[in-house]
Amino acid sequence: MAIRTFTGNSWLDKLTSKKDLLWLTIWIAGLGVLWIWDALFLNAPAFARLQTAFLNSLLTGLMVVLFSLALGWFLGVSLNTLEHSKSKIGFAVLSFVTDILRSIPQIIAVLIGYVVLTILLHNGIIRSSFVQMVWIAGTIAIAVFLEVADTIRQRIDYFRTLDFVDAMLCCGIKERRIINVEILWKNSRSHMLHKLIAIFGISIFLQCSIDFIISVGLSTDVSLINFPMTLGNLLANVDSKQDILALSNLFTEPGYVSVIFTRHLQGLSVAFCIVFSMLCIYMIANGIVRRHKLA
Amino acid sequence: MNERKYTIRIASEGRALVAIDDFRLAKSAITVLLGESGIGKSLISMAIAGLLDPDDLDVHIDGKPYAAYLRSQEAIDIRRNGFFVFQEPSSHLNPLLTLRAQLREGSLAAAPDEGRILKKLWQGSSSSGVESILDVYPKPYRPSGGEKQRILAAMAFKKMAASAAHTQESLFIFDEPTGNLDNRLRNEFLDLLVENFRNQMTTIVLITHDYSTISRFTNIYPTVSKNILYRELLLEHGKLHLRDFLPGEYLSWLEKRNATTRTGQKTETVLRLQPHVKVFGRTLSISRDTEGQNPEPLLIRKGAVTYLKAPSGVGKTTIVKLMMGLIKPETMSMELGSAVYSEKTNRKVWAQRVWGRQMTMVFQHADEALNQNSKVKDVFDGLPIAVPLNEKIIVKSLSELFEEEPSRDFLNIRIKYLSGGQKQRLNLLRSLILRTDILILDEPLNGLDFASAAKVIAKIEMKLQSGFGVLVISHNEEIFDTLVATANIYYLHSSSSRLTLPDTSKR
Repeated sequence: MAIRTFTGNSWLDKLTSKKDLLWLTIWIAGLGVLWIWDALFLNAPAFARLQTAFLNSLLTGLMVVLFSLALGWFLGVSLNTLEHSKSKIGFAVLSFVTDILRSIPQIIAVLIGYVVLTILLHNGIIRSSFVQMVWIAGTIAIAVFLEVADTIRQRIDYFRTLDFVDAMLCCGIKERRIINVEILWKNSRSHMLHKLIAIFGISIFLQCSIDFIISVGLSTDVSLINFPMTLGNLLANVDSKQDILALSNLFTEPGYVSVIFTRHLQGLSVAFCIVFSMLCIYMIANGIVRRHKLA
Repeated sequence: MNERKYTIRIASEGRALVAIDDFRLAKSAITVLLGESGIGKSLISMAIAGLLDPDDLDVHIDGKPYAAYLRSQEAIDIRRNGFFVFQEPSSHLNPLLTLRAQLREGSLAAAPDEGRILKKLWQGSSSSGVESILDVYPKPYRPSGGEKQRILAAMAFKKMAASAAHTQESLFIFDEPTGNLDNRLRNEFLDLLVENFRNQMTTIVLITHDYSTISRFTNIYPTVSKNILYRELLLEHGKLHLRDFLPGEYLSWLEKRNATTRTGQKTETVLRLQPHVKVFGRTLSISRDTEGQNPEPLLIRKGAVTYLKAPSGVGKTTIVKLMMGLIKPETMSMELGSAVYSEKTNRKVWAQRVWGRQMTMVFQHADEALNQNSKVKDVFDGLPIAVPLNEKIIVKSLSELFEEEPSRDFLNIRIKYLSGGQKQRLNLLRSLILRTDILILDEPLNGLDFASAAKVIAKIEMKLQSGFGVLVISHNEEIFDTLVATANIYYLHSSSSRLTLPDTSKR
């Protein structure tokens, strides 16, 4: 019965009832306020570095999401096809390779990618910042795409437990259409979106973690300054570290709070960007789960 | 007859689920509540029984908030002296208490006749006696759905006896109480229901899709008929209302159908399934005799209906899934056209030659078989039809099973917002639109109201005229017996009375 009796129609009602959109708005608004504050009080070179770092991190994160989706879809659908094919050898081999990949901790996998990138930089094979970012995104995607593949397989497996797949097969509908259109597109977009938002958050987290680890330098010739400017890279910068440490001054000199948000802005802005973005991304993902009643 | 009229509004998150102004409940009578599934019969009954959660749903009865209704003496009396037999019995049984303990819980402890009630409900049951399950802690898979339903019915009948002094204030609601029972057990239940009603003259609501209930009451209990009211919940022009359903509507339709001759004319055989099929370590056998003494191949002929009968749980759905190549048998031999299909046949062969081309199947649960997130018009996407269906053809097809010609808006409604009956009709249409040689129908009348069921039967007859071979599995024997020649009725037997299916969730 499609009778709708909504009473609250104001945009505020709609926004507060949709937590994901609410937190997206909070994220954009928070970053907007930070941008205005930094434009007023942060020195121009640091402000430019911060903007570049934010955009680069965002771009890398988006590339990770795209690569993970492509790899996850390919692996998830391939495993499903091989599992239900006559020969089980292909499924066993691909499952084995997947399990090997799964056994490598994400941070180690990304670190290996950075080591290879260092060698490529050292030998002058890669020079462009964009190609470096693509490499970094590809490395992170290889470390995290299994989560997307698992979600895809779970969705397909769930629908296979119902009459859903069999009923469509009996009507002559192709299996590839049932999986890609009926299960993944029509019934799993919310699940996938939730997973991809989480992947985006993980990619930011991994970037920052790795940037901190390699801030000591990966070789005598290659260090953080050779890599594209990202939020993690900027946070690992010695100026930013000093800005963060300046917070400890507040314990002995509480009056210092009056200048901390103008004099130590680079480090605090980067830290705020990372923490605030992670929180908002987490809340957006939760909002989507709640709005679409995902388990 | 003394009647209580209700105005009921139930909404959830701003969406109206039920809105009815004229829901009438006759006191000291049996109201048989008919109507297609998903239309709101259970929800309305639960609202009156005081079983809805006012925090979950926005409920108003007679214009007052539900909390006020729950505090009223009427609702208190119903809860204290009545009983609700749920459609899904697992939701009512406590997994931490044995069934015996639950049968004697609270006010049921002092109620008489437990032994007699159980004996009657288990009379003629093919499963081992009731004693073997009474000390079981109910689990989702044990006892069976039919056994749980009978335990709940027994509780209701005990409660009727216990509330004998308060018959005017009590209300007993049976929501699809025979959904998991075969015809013999259903009749035992109905007999017990009438017997208890005669004794107590209490108010009873029997929610059902099984129209053969009408024949049973009319033919076996003519003297009680004046106290049995048939009412059908209908959605017309987006508005829900209750209409009196005259038993004659169904009985005369049935009589007319019975008058038509069903010749066992031997047309060309399109499918022959050898009588023994082994699957999951069990052997399923097919015969024309009810006892299974003389196994015979199951034949599907052009332009004829073959009817496969068996009690619940024997494996009717399993065997048609085997015939469709959806389950891999241990041994099976089936001739379809000029090809032979067996346990060795590759799944690809079924996909290329059989599915949607030579055979198609309508599954019994439309909720699972259809994509709930699809729009109505998208149900026909991807079918192996030479020319893609345009909206005009879709509307024409839909109008064959829907009351009114569907509007463009209807084509764009998501399936999850349709009633159970509308879903079932779409489920049927998706297969009926195909030009296969054989059509397998697993409980095709599930969740349909009488008008829709009659349309489905008419549509099947049209398909038969165009040369389709049809295999039917259905509990609605009274209706399908009018469509099938005796020679085309088969019985399925299992080496065990119950077939244990593997855990498909781990596939």
